[in-house]
Amino acid sequence: MPRLVRWIWLLLGIHLAIGMVAYAHFLVTGTYALISLYFLFLGSFYFLVMTASECILAFMCRSWFDSDEPMQLAWTMIACAAMARFGGTLLREASNGQLPWGLGHWLIPHTGGLFSNSGQLGLLVGGPVSMAFLAIGLARVLSIQRKFHLVGSLTRGDQALLFLILAFSISQIAINVPLLAHHPSLGTVLLWLSDPLLSLLLIEAVLVRRSVVRIGQGLLANCWGMYVVAVAITSLGDATIWATSHNLLSEPLTVLSWYIWFVAAAAFACAPAYQLAAMSLTREEILHLPETR
Amino acid sequence: MKLLADWSSGWLGRKRSGMPDRDVRLETAPASGLDDLQMRLNHWGHLWSAENQSANSSAAQQLVAERLTQWIQRGFGQHVPGSLRGKGDQLSLATSTPILTAFLGRRATRELSRRVLRDI
Repeated sequence: MPRLVRWIWLLLGIHLAIGMVAYAHFLVTGTYALISLYFLFLGSFYFLVMTASECILAFMCRSWFDSDEPMQLAWTMIACAAMARFGGTLLREASNGQLPWGLGHWLIPHTGGLFSNSGQLGLLVGGPVSMAFLAIGLARVLSIQRKFHLVGSLTRGDQALLFLILAFSISQIAINVPLLAHHPSLGTVLLWLSDPLLSLLLIEAVLVRRSVVRIGQGLLANCWGMYVVAVAITSLGDATIWATSHNLLSEPLTVLSWYIWFVAAAAFACAPAYQLAAMSLTREEILHLPETR
Repeated sequence: MKLLADWSSGWLGRKRSGMPDRDVRLETAPASGLDDLQMRLNHWGHLWSAENQSANSSAAQQLVAERLTQWIQRGFGQHVPGSLRGKGDQLSLATSTPILTAFLGRRATRELSRRVLRDI
């Protein structure tokens, strides 16, 4: 496992271990005091660190490609997606008043009008905007993989999954379109794009997974595999939000579901770390190549 | 127009100054040097395309193929070297460079080629 990836999982492990202490406290006492502090401070800090790392790593990957190389566009889009996730996290934290040195006050006055608050703008930037960039980036990767015959044919299971995703997207559109009659804010309407975009990302993830199965267990395969994991976890998180809003989850399970987003953030950060490890491997002396005879 | 004429004459003048004189005579290279160069080019050509020419070059080609296979297995995945090989051919820089360049970029591929060809 590359060193950077190991660090990311280690950070996630430590963060989740502390989180489990807070969760145990919540289960025993039934109060939100400790768990609120954990999500408010440590959780916010963790998201900022992870999204910033993802952003830096993605831009580093992009810098390895020349402007006329097809993968540069893919990594530009992926880096923009990472930047949008980081920007969205910053705006959300600013809205919650969690940023130090008065940065929150500096960011908040720039919002308003079209959006109800900077938190909603943060959700939009870190959600649909980021997803749109990632969808374009992954589509580009898929087209390059197809050129090299790396995308395998879909199994019946994949086809069934794609059908379910499409059916879910259509049902969401059918639910949201009549709500337009109530004149929701632009921010709310744009946030409705999350579900169709997530469905698109899931479709791409299914196709990328096929290519990963075809390629095997290498660093680049792991890079694209991490995006599949990240999109799948994001979908799971989305599903828990939907289940919570319909009172389908018990209170302890609802609280436990909040931890899903930490794993998704780590998976998103790991993907460029794997790509960077593959590219750095060409320079490293530790690569034990067979010697001349 | 005058400006354009000045610029073009100046530019042409500069260009002309960079050109070799017509009177320059190319020295005839010694035949042994050319043979050596030709041998080296053929050697690199065979390493690049993995065409079997002689017992000596095939050993070097095999080494290149082994090194490439090892790297591609670690970098991409264990199934990729098999799909890059032709019908019974071994992996070569010619067959693997397009995919390496596409997913790693020119700079990384150049570094990798340098390392794969080290000591050969």
